[in-house]
Amino acid sequence: MNDEMRELERRSRAAFDESVESLDAETRSRLARARARALAELRERRAPGPAVWVPVGAAAAALVAAMLWQREESTAPPPDAAFAALEDLDMMAGGEDFEMFHEDEGFYAWAEEQMSDGVG
Amino acid sequence: MQEERVNRSATLSAPMSLGRRDESRETTVDRERALDRFLAGIERRAFRIACMALRDHAEAEDAVQDAMIRMVRSYGRHPEDQWRPLFYRILRNRITDTQRRQKVRRAVMAWWSGPEADESAPDPLESAVDPRGTPEQELESAELLARIEKVLAALSSRQREVFLLRNFEGLDVAQAAIAMGCSEGSVKTHYFRAMQSLQLALGEWKP
Repeated sequence: MNDEMRELERRSRAAFDESVESLDAETRSRLARARARALAELRERRAPGPAVWVPVGAAAAALVAAMLWQREESTAPPPDAAFAALEDLDMMAGGEDFEMFHEDEGFYAWAEEQMSDGVG
Repeated sequence: MQEERVNRSATLSAPMSLGRRDESRETTVDRERALDRFLAGIERRAFRIACMALRDHAEAEDAVQDAMIRMVRSYGRHPEDQWRPLFYRILRNRITDTQRRQKVRRAVMAWWSGPEADESAPDPLESAVDPRGTPEQELESAELLARIEKVLAALSSRQREVFLLRNFEGLDVAQAAIAMGCSEGSVKTHYFRAMQSLQLALGEWKP
């Protein structure tokens, strides 16, 4: 490149720099907001956390409850399987001692039979 | 602005005696701060470059915002020295997409309004974005830049891109090659041709 080109390079760069410096406040502000949005997305992607999963879990629980309730409404008397499922949930939530099942093999076999009947 | 940057650097270099989990969180926060600094340092120049390429203020803002989001989402974990060429590569692709859309839109509008209406349409060069509120002492630079924009608009897209990236954004040959997705030899050739065209067009220009 000759000297004239280098001078043109230098002056055009200086002119560009000035145009960047003279950007209006409104545009600067919008660009800053765009940057904040980009970084906010990064934070959201990094930590979905309980804030996301709690509503999802609650919705799933509500759906299960609604399905069980509907089954109860449509058939009388209430199906054993639905009752069994509710009882299982109840026991798990109550922290029952599951050791008792191992002590009574007859009960265990009966329970298995009842569950398979309920599913079928 | 400078003071703010110094303060942020001081925070980043503060000694840490934290557990592994806290260290990891600290590293992530550091990276986010580094990205913030990087984008803050680049956004205005990127916007002006997008303005010159697209000749539309709003489209340029959208392009820069999308480029920022994609940069953070896809390349935030890359080493910092790669960020600049990667960011400009994203921006370049976004600008190319927008230019294609603009071309289709113009073709549809020309077909819709007929040849007479098209001839009377305003010259897009006349509505090119200029820095607003330019003081008188900056008039000379503004005039030169306006003329450069007109010359750039007539160059091939490769020549225009390489001039914007090399001269205005200050990318070196290797970085410009990454940003443009071409060889370093191609960058040198296109840049020299762009400079030749500018010299030819602006040769008689004396402020």
